Amino acid sequence: MTIALDQGQAKRAPPGADSWGRLKVNRDWLGFWFMLPAMAFLILFLAYPLGLGIWISFTDARIGRVGEFIGIENYEWLWGDSIFWLSVFNTLLYTIVASAFKFAIGLYLALLLNENMPFKAILRALVLIPFIVPTVLSALAFWWIFDAQFSIISWSLRHLGLITQNINFLGDVNWARFCVIFANIWRGVPFVAITLLAGLQTVSPSLYEAATIDGATAWQRFRHITYPLLTPIIAVVMTFSVLFTFTDFQLIWAMTRGGPVNATHLMATLSYQRAIIGGSLGEGAAISSAMIPFLLAAIMISWFGLQRRKWQQGEAND
Amino acid sequence: MTDFTRRTLMQGGTAMAAAGALTGPALFDFAKAWAQSAPWKAEKGAKLTVMRWKRFVPGEDAAFNEMVKAFEAATGTKMNVFSESFEDVQPKASVAANTGSGLDLAWGLHTLPQLFPTKVLMMNDVADYLGKKYGGWTDAAAATCKQGNNWLGIPVATIGGYMTYRKSAMEKAGFKEFPKDFPGFLEYSKALKKNNTPSGMALGHASGDANAWLHWILWGHNAWTVDKNDKVTINSPETVKALEYCKQLADTFIPGTASWNDSSNNKAYLAGELYCTNNGISIYVAAKDDPAKKDLAADTYHALWPVGPIGKPTELQLCVPILAFKFTKYPNAAKAFIAFMLEKQNFEKWLSGARGYLTHTLNAYDSAPVWTADPKNEVFSHASQRALPASGIGHPGEKAATAIADFLVVDMFANFCTGREDAKGAIAVTERQLKRIYR
Amino acid sequence: MTDFQIPKLAAKAADLKAVLSGTTADHSEGMSYLESLPRRLVTLYLPLSIIVITLLFPFYWMALTAIKPDAQLLDLDKFNPFWTWQPTLKHVEKLLFESHYLEWLWNTMYVAVAATVLSIVASVLAAYAIVRLRYRGAHWIGGLIFLAYLVPPSILFIPLATVVFQYGLFDTPFALILTYPTILIPFSTWLLMGYFKTIPFELEECALIDGASRWQILTRIVLPLSIPGLISAFIFCFTLCWNEFIYALTFLTSVQNKTVPVAIVNEFVDGDVYRWGSLMAGALVGSLPLVILYAFFVEHYVSAMTGAIKE
Repeated sequence: MTIALDQGQAKRAPPGADSWGRLKVNRDWLGFWFMLPAMAFLILFLAYPLGLGIWISFTDARIGRVGEFIGIENYEWLWGDSIFWLSVFNTLLYTIVASAFKFAIGLYLALLLNENMPFKAILRALVLIPFIVPTVLSALAFWWIFDAQFSIISWSLRHLGLITQNINFLGDVNWARFCVIFANIWRGVPFVAITLLAGLQTVSPSLYEAATIDGATAWQRFRHITYPLLTPIIAVVMTFSVLFTFTDFQLIWAMTRGGPVNATHLMATLSYQRAIIGGSLGEGAAISSAMIPFLLAAIMISWFGLQRRKWQQGEAND
Repeated sequence: MTDFTRRTLMQGGTAMAAAGALTGPALFDFAKAWAQSAPWKAEKGAKLTVMRWKRFVPGEDAAFNEMVKAFEAATGTKMNVFSESFEDVQPKASVAANTGSGLDLAWGLHTLPQLFPTKVLMMNDVADYLGKKYGGWTDAAAATCKQGNNWLGIPVATIGGYMTYRKSAMEKAGFKEFPKDFPGFLEYSKALKKNNTPSGMALGHASGDANAWLHWILWGHNAWTVDKNDKVTINSPETVKALEYCKQLADTFIPGTASWNDSSNNKAYLAGELYCTNNGISIYVAAKDDPAKKDLAADTYHALWPVGPIGKPTELQLCVPILAFKFTKYPNAAKAFIAFMLEKQNFEKWLSGARGYLTHTLNAYDSAPVWTADPKNEVFSHASQRALPASGIGHPGEKAATAIADFLVVDMFANFCTGREDAKGAIAVTERQLKRIYR
Repeated sequence: MTDFQIPKLAAKAADLKAVLSGTTADHSEGMSYLESLPRRLVTLYLPLSIIVITLLFPFYWMALTAIKPDAQLLDLDKFNPFWTWQPTLKHVEKLLFESHYLEWLWNTMYVAVAATVLSIVASVLAAYAIVRLRYRGAHWIGGLIFLAYLVPPSILFIPLATVVFQYGLFDTPFALILTYPTILIPFSTWLLMGYFKTIPFELEECALIDGASRWQILTRIVLPLSIPGLISAFIFCFTLCWNEFIYALTFLTSVQNKTVPVAIVNEFVDGDVYRWGSLMAGALVGSLPLVILYAFFVEHYVSAMTGAIKE
């Protein structure tokens, strides 16, 4: 990194050129123009509304009425609200379990797909299908698959003689959680797998060959070659995955609406429920804003956790 | 589940024609004449964007669209009508209210106009005009739309929800007629379960069905979320009784009701797995339209909600009020359209098209032909009279609307019936939320 | 948080670079010749088929529902639910000819392409500036752009509705075309940053010395070398646009402006009746453009991601 910077310094415009010429090559000035489009989008349609949203969370705004500043009253109320805490618990459970499985299955699938076999290209395309179908529609398909009366799973198990009564998939608290987490994993695995597969392909086979000659087992090869080399891509992919999972909305909304008895309400759905359906914009905005610290924490953990691993291996040099 | 093809649409159409209503040129003539004499003259070049809820019964929106067309032709107003599902109507209307654009008229559910009373066009003149002409409004409908003496919207109709049951199963369970009180209903439901012909009502977030039957049980026990002065009174021995009754009842249900939404009971009933539920007339209509379900349709009957210990009907019916936003550029066209819809020449035909799904809120329509066209429709004609406003005995308004929209009562019962909370806990959570809403 | 670590990955194994550079060849043949067939059956084909079948089953179920006659849908006793002998195209027909489906498809395509192109242009410029211009605070800004991903649409959509209205975009395709980039830019910037770093710096040095402007360097040298990365970013952005739901649900109201996911749900759920056949047919047909895109480009996608992450 330092080397790169030095190179940069060396290329600064020679002194004495006219000011326009200097400006033309001034990297700060150029950088500004290059950044402008991206920044314009992010400021106009992200930062500004985000600030607005946080402001709303300190007001008692309702739909159709600008609120008055009420300080942290919304947050105080949420602090004592058992449903809010339930949604926090659900969100954490959902995120942690789904992300862990997505990672494990995704990595496993990536390793499998990296093997040499016939029809590899087709298989890879097929695996991506869950990622391609619009989420809200696959969520509806899941809703149908997990239906209380017409579930194909219940039907099959009944005909196999394993159960006598339909499983109450979305009506029972634990089953409902299982179902939405399952659907989320189903949808998330392809992205993780394909991205990790891309990472795997950067690992040179000569490393494996060398390791095999030295008598390393398959596990050792994975542990000491594949995994360390994949760490950076894992960090990125899991960060995305955690974010997508944490802020998931459509899947839950289409499948359970947060039910049964709020057992699958995530913070995002609860915020929608309170703000848009219930009309309490301020409270809904407070719930959304309460997601921010959690998200930050999740990012920090995934980021620095993985970075530390690299220090331990003595790889980092800055 | 039926499949609404063009064929059934046509059937709906012929049924309407057979009812002897105005169609085609006659309708346009009427519309023209009406536009001449109506108290509201549509502005020149008026354009109205109307959002309505997505129809449940195809004939209903066919009739609605015909009305829209006649209105367009007679007044020169350009109408842009689109429909949204039940769940999306309120958010969309709210966004429009918030941003001050996008819609002129919104036809929504429950107490929609009360959610943003400062954003709607007052409808006092329209309500007076129609009320005088057609025998006055029913109490619940009026309460739903009024704030003080002002009409925030017009209660176009009520989507009646009543007991839909299979007569054969009832008789097999040893009942000659549908139970009329709470203990009887519980016995009946128990007997159904014993015969493996279970009943079931939604315990999930089903805005129509779940709110309807759980409020019915709550109110039937003389328990209320708030009293006349909007003081929170949910924490009462009556509520405990309601919870306990509800639990006994829910234990007799088909499994899975906690995950049900508004469509679940239709599906289960039409598939022959469910033998008694609460619903609009749509189950019966769907069965009638499906040649394969002839027997099921013949065996299906409707009954009034049994009356609770309180001794009078306590039905929460789904009122569907229409409102015009204050920011509309064409307030007269909006008012004219609303009044036009509810004129006898339009409205009776519309009721027939809805085939019992919509119930009038103007008393004069008690004699509308739809209620006698099929004897099984008759029950639904009472929906507007027997209903209480969604606020119970409290003030219908923003607060009551929020309580309904947040499913406070539904969640309280669901928490208790699924064993997540004991009675005290379930009530405490609800009380806390109510107190915040009614602060 | 800043540098995203990616380039450092293979830095140590610089000697490998010769093996890796420029190629996206498949190295997977590796060691497989050492394994016997029965062993591969158990360790590879069996788990792979289980996972693939699980991943595809819901899709099969959608397809089956889309061609099943309604009568068979709810009658699990008379008809085997896993198959149908009387497939019907009624649902598809209704979808294509009795609804605005083709219009929705066009809208979705239009919005997705426009938003994707805008985002990629913005991302290319931003990524190039962060990686190569190294202006003051570049790392800091890079981190900020990444943080933009922290902000989920479910937080933004209430205030954003007001904003979209203020800008006069409500119920126009631009409401989506201009808001989607906020979801797309962070990822594609990250992806392209990784990719740009793989382009030898010396090439640019020479060009600079020859008097080329930054713009020329970007368009003549960097972009042509980054085609796989651009394809990858394009596919990813396009998919996200195609699937987006909340913004489309909120910012559009007229039927003819809607995008496929929102419109299908709206059109084929009649109050309390779900028309499963048409819903699922719509989901299938709506996924087709993406399936085709992926079928053609999946290898590109994988190799482009490879390019982006390997340095």
